[in-house]
Amino acid sequence: MTAGGQRTTDDRGAATGAALAPMPIVVANVSFTYPSGTQALRGVSLRVAPGEAVAIVGENGAGKTTLVKHLNGLLKPSEGSVVVGDWDTREHTVAKMAARVGYVFQNPDDQIVERTVGDEVAFGPRRLGQPEAERQANVAAALATVGLTDAAATHPYDLTTPQRKLVTLASVLAMRTPIVIFDEPTMGQDAGGVALIGGIVESLKAEGRTVLTITHDIDFCAAHFGRAIVMAAGQALADGPAAEVLTRADVLATTNVEPPQLVRLAQALRLARAPLTVEGFVAEIVGRGQ
Amino acid sequence: MSTSFSLYIPRESGMHRLHPLTKLALVAFCLVLGLFLPGVWLTYLAFMLLIVPLAAWAGVLPSFLRAVFKTALPVVISVFLVQGLFWPGGTPILHLGPLSLKQEGLQFAIRSAGRFITVVSSFLLLTFTTRPDGLMLALSQRGFPNSIAYIMLATMQIVPRFQTKANTILDAQRSRGLETEGNLLVRLRALLPLVQPLLLGSIIDIEERAIALEVRAFGRPGPKTSLLVLHDTPAQRVLRWLLLLAMLAVIGWRLYLAIAPRLAA
Amino acid sequence: MIRLGDVTYFYPRATTPALAGVTLEIPTGQFCAVIGANGAGKSTLCYTLAGFVPHFYRGKLSGGVEVAGVDVPASSLAQLAGHVGLVFANPFNQITGARFSVREEIAFGLENMGVPLEEMATRVEDILGFAGLRDLAERSPFALSGGQQQRLAIASVLVMRPPVIVLDEPTSQLDPIGSREVFAVLRDLAATDAATVVLAEQKLEWVAVFADRVIVLHEGRIVADGLPGDVLASADLAQYGLQPTRYTQAARAAQAAGFRADRDDLPVTLEEAVEFFR
Repeated sequence: MTAGGQRTTDDRGAATGAALAPMPIVVANVSFTYPSGTQALRGVSLRVAPGEAVAIVGENGAGKTTLVKHLNGLLKPSEGSVVVGDWDTREHTVAKMAARVGYVFQNPDDQIVERTVGDEVAFGPRRLGQPEAERQANVAAALATVGLTDAAATHPYDLTTPQRKLVTLASVLAMRTPIVIFDEPTMGQDAGGVALIGGIVESLKAEGRTVLTITHDIDFCAAHFGRAIVMAAGQALADGPAAEVLTRADVLATTNVEPPQLVRLAQALRLARAPLTVEGFVAEIVGRGQ
Repeated sequence: MSTSFSLYIPRESGMHRLHPLTKLALVAFCLVLGLFLPGVWLTYLAFMLLIVPLAAWAGVLPSFLRAVFKTALPVVISVFLVQGLFWPGGTPILHLGPLSLKQEGLQFAIRSAGRFITVVSSFLLLTFTTRPDGLMLALSQRGFPNSIAYIMLATMQIVPRFQTKANTILDAQRSRGLETEGNLLVRLRALLPLVQPLLLGSIIDIEERAIALEVRAFGRPGPKTSLLVLHDTPAQRVLRWLLLLAMLAVIGWRLYLAIAPRLAA
Repeated sequence: MIRLGDVTYFYPRATTPALAGVTLEIPTGQFCAVIGANGAGKSTLCYTLAGFVPHFYRGKLSGGVEVAGVDVPASSLAQLAGHVGLVFANPFNQITGARFSVREEIAFGLENMGVPLEEMATRVEDILGFAGLRDLAERSPFALSGGQQQRLAIASVLVMRPPVIVLDEPTSQLDPIGSREVFAVLRDLAATDAATVVLAEQKLEWVAVFADRVIVLHEGRIVADGLPGDVLASADLAQYGLQPTRYTQAARAAQAAGFRADRDDLPVTLEEAVEFFR
């Protein structure tokens, strides 16, 4: 281990308590074709700096999930490369990448394997070789974050589907990875659930972790993510600050995405700016001099 | 987007136009030939002279042969290895180190392989040339219970879904640090966590599908109409009876061959 | 016409009721949206209207449930098929798997009902056009997108001409385009007055645009019932675990800052918001 606490060759087993330091992701001209022949990514390049919050939007089939699966090595590029920190994804197994990139799958029922919520949340930390004391602390903290501390001994299938979603969230949070990927985190959630997940995103950001999400909920994207990437047909049509990208209704429309509610309202009112937040919008209205 | 799982290949062939029960009878006849023909080489004759021409008539020969090859090859190879090399006693005809290839074992293997190929290719012939819903309709028109017909039909559709789900579940666990790449032991151990999500997830799916079926009046008693129309002809009805008689004749012949020596003695 | 009289329901082995004293009357041809937090009883209400509570889920049901003149708890599921249609969130699980083209999949329900072939052909043709599935008629149901499959599920139920159709979060697993496709079909349905529609939804922006009436469920009880413009602009939504649209939130915040504070009709849709802020 280097002096700065940053692990390099092997992130597992010999942990002494310090979480992995944040690290960049570099996607270099990645193209990917599925065995069936469909080309899902065409020369995508992007850099994600440590601690960024990035939302990926676009229609079904645009390549969002394909791109994101490259970040933890589930898919290896047909051309180009993906480097997470100093690891090229082609040189490491997915299980080893899991120490750096946590991935919350869309359907919780695809992820849950244990018979109690507590064991389920501890599954990832166990595989990563976290020492017992550290693991228990991480599990407890993760359960508290999602509000399921009292359900630690419950069988996950005795919970509702939205609650199981929170279990899978907690299980990835407990892994304390520097990078976390969410696939449609708010699908099926009610307002309370969406707020809870939004809060989780904010606390991950506050800890300096990199957060990426695929989402159809454009208002959720606007509320929590500073950068938006719009994908269509395997390419990134737009990539930049959310406040700017999400106002480009014409670009969004080509990939069947609508701007957030407030942006649509601001554009319909022909305001000078199209803010993403309620506060920003009100300020814009009041400042309009009307 | 998963595609439906069906080996059925639509074609405008005479074979395809036959009533499903006629095809079923033809295939049952081939099956009986495969199981009951005496000797070593007759089953191969049945395959070459009856099953393959039927597949050719149906216009599905290339895919059919490919499927037969893929399904039969592993079994045929293992039968030859096991029976050929490990036949107790017998006449060795070739020596391979400590083991030897026995003539009796080879003969047994050839005969078993012949049966297996005939049986398997009969089933494949049926699935390649018969619409699953057509066969189920024909059976239910003859009194076969609806729900069993549905289970047989729909289960096939769910198989590719199961496979995709299993892969997704495995990917989700790998993403949490479960090592799946490595030696055989590692890979086998990695399959254990699949069981619960696969089963419980499938149970939820089945429950919802049962509800959807009820909504579509599947449980409603009484007469049903059918969009699909099956065409039957008197000639086919006669053919089916003839095939039934032929099947009984083959089985009878086989029984006679088995019993006759004892009677004579 | 839907009538619920003091309906209380306990799932098997449950100690708290999923529905508690629900009394409700929905006139024929109304498009009624049911909203509420997860666990409030929206799905249970949908399944009660369709008879799956209590016939499929067992448990204890008390009170009267009458849908299109039929006493639901006293009828079997087979008898209810064709009276109440039910569509739920997962598009894939609503494909029967017994038919290999969209056309045949739609006809499945009519076959089971013994509808004569000529009438079947006409009805299927009509619904293919209505649901925008005509170009997909010969395609396998498994080769459709999620949104298309959900439209297929709705079409397959609508073709049976039930007087009441109940939908339980039909767009929750769909992308924005798929959702819009479903809402378009529902809007056309409501416009033709072909059926009474009960829709459980989380996407309040769409509810505001399409529904005639909004009912709020909270812990198994009805706590609000009225026009979308009133219910969705109410300040009580938060205590029921709901969040109004950003349009309403922006208007409320603007009023707090002194903008148009005298108006008491907060916007719930984009159109109303444009009018409010102009």
